[in-house]
Amino acid sequence: MPLDYRRFNGPEDSVSYKRFTKDYLKSYDELYKELLDDNGVRKDGRALSEARSMCMFFARTDMVSQAKGSAYVELRKTKVVCSVFDPREIPHQNEFSQLGQIFCEVKFAPFSCPRRRRPHAPDAEEKALSVALRKALEPTVCRHLFPNYQVDVFIYILEHDGACLSAAINAAGLALADAAVPMYDIVTACSVAIVGDRLFVDPTEAEEHVATISPETNSNHGVITMSMLSELKQISDFTLIGSMDTECVNTAMDILEKECETLVPQIQKILVTNVVKSFEQRQRLEEEANDREQALNIKMEEWRKLLNAG
Amino acid sequence: MPGPDLLSSQGLRLDGRRPNELRRIRCKLGVFAQPDGSAYLEQGNTKVLAAVYGPHQASKSKSLQDGVVVNCQYSMATFSTGERKNHPRGDRKSQEMSMHLRQALTAAIKTELYPRSQIDIYVEVLQADGGAYCASVNAATLALIDAGIPLRAYACACSASMAWRNGQPEPLLDVGHVEEAAGGVVLTVASLPSTGSIGLIEMSHRLHMDYFDVVLSRAMQGCKDIEVILDRAVREHLAEGWTKQDVVVI
Amino acid sequence: MAGLLLSPTEKVFIVHGVQEDYRSDGRSNIDYRPMELETDVVSHASGSARLRLANTDILVGVKTEIDVPSPENPDLGKIEFFVDCSANATPEFEGRGGEQLAIGISNLMQRAYHSSQAFNLKQLCIFESKQCWKLYVDILILECGGNLCDAVSLAVKAALFNTRIPFVKAALMDGGNVDLQLSDDPYDSKLLDVGSAPLQVTLCKIGDKCVVDPSAEEESCSVISVIVGITGNSSCFSEDNSSPDTGGKFTTIDMNGPGSVAPKTLKDAINQGRVAAKLLDKSLGEALLRERQESVKLKKYSYGFLK
Repeated sequence: MPLDYRRFNGPEDSVSYKRFTKDYLKSYDELYKELLDDNGVRKDGRALSEARSMCMFFARTDMVSQAKGSAYVELRKTKVVCSVFDPREIPHQNEFSQLGQIFCEVKFAPFSCPRRRRPHAPDAEEKALSVALRKALEPTVCRHLFPNYQVDVFIYILEHDGACLSAAINAAGLALADAAVPMYDIVTACSVAIVGDRLFVDPTEAEEHVATISPETNSNHGVITMSMLSELKQISDFTLIGSMDTECVNTAMDILEKECETLVPQIQKILVTNVVKSFEQRQRLEEEANDREQALNIKMEEWRKLLNAG
Repeated sequence: MPGPDLLSSQGLRLDGRRPNELRRIRCKLGVFAQPDGSAYLEQGNTKVLAAVYGPHQASKSKSLQDGVVVNCQYSMATFSTGERKNHPRGDRKSQEMSMHLRQALTAAIKTELYPRSQIDIYVEVLQADGGAYCASVNAATLALIDAGIPLRAYACACSASMAWRNGQPEPLLDVGHVEEAAGGVVLTVASLPSTGSIGLIEMSHRLHMDYFDVVLSRAMQGCKDIEVILDRAVREHLAEGWTKQDVVVI
Repeated sequence: MAGLLLSPTEKVFIVHGVQEDYRSDGRSNIDYRPMELETDVVSHASGSARLRLANTDILVGVKTEIDVPSPENPDLGKIEFFVDCSANATPEFEGRGGEQLAIGISNLMQRAYHSSQAFNLKQLCIFESKQCWKLYVDILILECGGNLCDAVSLAVKAALFNTRIPFVKAALMDGGNVDLQLSDDPYDSKLLDVGSAPLQVTLCKIGDKCVVDPSAEEESCSVISVIVGITGNSSCFSEDNSSPDTGGKFTTIDMNGPGSVAPKTLKDAINQGRVAAKLLDKSLGEALLRERQESVKLKKYSYGFLK
């Protein structure tokens, strides 16, 4: 593991001071109660089944100028940047691979998580997220079109406030489309956190945290993330952690399917606007170039006259 | 000087063996179906699995014009030792062991028969109780025979140590973990007993020149004894005439 | 898998067989291959098991160590899964070749055992917020003949069932240190409560149908498989049958492979996996209890790899 030598690495047994605050010592029941107010509304004012909307302003492509395609997705406090690079030959490979490959890397910013500082070296969670992202993207990309090549997808999570995997998948779908990588369908993803008999659609970090703690009773709990190709009605990845019965899984699947579908028009809109914007930009650039050329020509004419006169 | 307590006053060792006695060896050839050859060997509480793949075409960088490339990998299961190991392979000790294995086995294999080819030998120590290297060589030999690779002779390895009894030197055969840990000399020999040649010899700690011959001859005797046991196992296996590999999987 | 080459015709043969619910080795789509299971095979480990499912060979050793509990969960012990793909299985695993697969399986196991309804870590607590047991579950893959996940989860459950943890007396001394006293008698130990530990079932989608326990040949015909982890029924693992019927909850669902599935297929696969896991859990419980009873009566003869 490479250590980050530029930073003073504290002793390994150092603990966050937050451990000694009152918030930290709250019991499971208290944490659970805090998630909803008396009217059954969530802390950030959403209803249980309401997802954080990914409106135009908070999701855009063309974020990283060096990358072939890039996207930025913001769901309230969850902020994710994605960049996609040109296909390149698969490094260190002996055999020819018929299908192109997708290389995914998910990285948390050191300051992204509310509970702890992220280590510099990739940890198990980041690796697991990278694998999940790859699995979600593989069925969507026409991989037979670039054999023996790989497309690199990098996700950087600036701020983590729940549902970071689904945000990452959405961002990666946008960025791949922006990079003009041929795809079968738009890929969308959504998460749901389950605590007891309540389902929190598009959970925040606090909700995810409660959902992953095992309650004393034998009730359902857990987090499900599902990514879909809505037009083709195919599930490309499904990840479940926790413990729940069949009924709960089935209801969650139905909800997620619907949520994934509602995301599609939003993503389409972003992509279309992006195309329109880039077209307009190009037009504007061309016009400017024309103007400049004309100005130059006029200057030339003037000089020529001056020269001839001189 | 190793402690006199390695031998009791009756001349028995810590685990009740006589000085020239091997631990019980049990072995089986052809434990797995997928490798070309495989073997399992138990020497006392030391348990080793070996698998052989090949001969197959060698990768370009390794390929030799005049003989086969013997590729060995020695690895120890994380639960094989008393204290948990963090890495099954890749550490110094297992790399050294891989090298020693290669040396001993290259001496036994008729390498000139397969130019530009490669034989992979993988050894997995499931339980280590002293003499893991010896057991690995013996198991690898059986796996090579199971794979049908021509050998000059059986490659057998055995270790020996030194103890004192009534002021007389007494070499000990097939050193166990307790005796190893007691801090005495351990002489490990890998040899081809039927040809009388030695493939590898290694010694730890200090031993007076005068006693070297005694210890070495005891270790060589051990190799000869092991050869008899391995030979019997191979004959029994072939007499069964029916290995798992013969069962055709679609 | 090592050198597994199937021609298109062979693949078609397998796919058609699955369609007719009659597979190339004579099984139906919901049948498992025969298994051999033996516990207590490694003497250096607190608990161990070896499982052979046709050509898939798994050896699991559980080692126990004393550790300090994490500050977030002061009353819980720890469990860690480590998978080692031995090069014995295929030369591709030589060096670090098997690492990707190993990390994938250990992540899956870690997730399946995450919930306390699957495995209660409270039983590993020695002294709250000071000392706890840490279980190292080391999984050694010796041969791959398809269906690794199921085999690993079965072997892990058997090894945990076989694990003995010594009784420890803990007392708080001056200065906040903990004094631990261990008995010298190795039989003075407790068994773990592992009845609810999850089993994983891989459902391999071949053609339009899902099969259970795919062989290596069948795996190469499929682009997607669904892995479901389902908690066990603790009443199958204790001698008194009075305890209520529990379990059957999902602790993990995952998809493996480059393909995708329709929502309907996924739902069907999940239900099929649940049924299969229940049956598997029951027979595993029976086998383990039988072996335990036999070993009480007479010193068990250890077969190991010699059979």
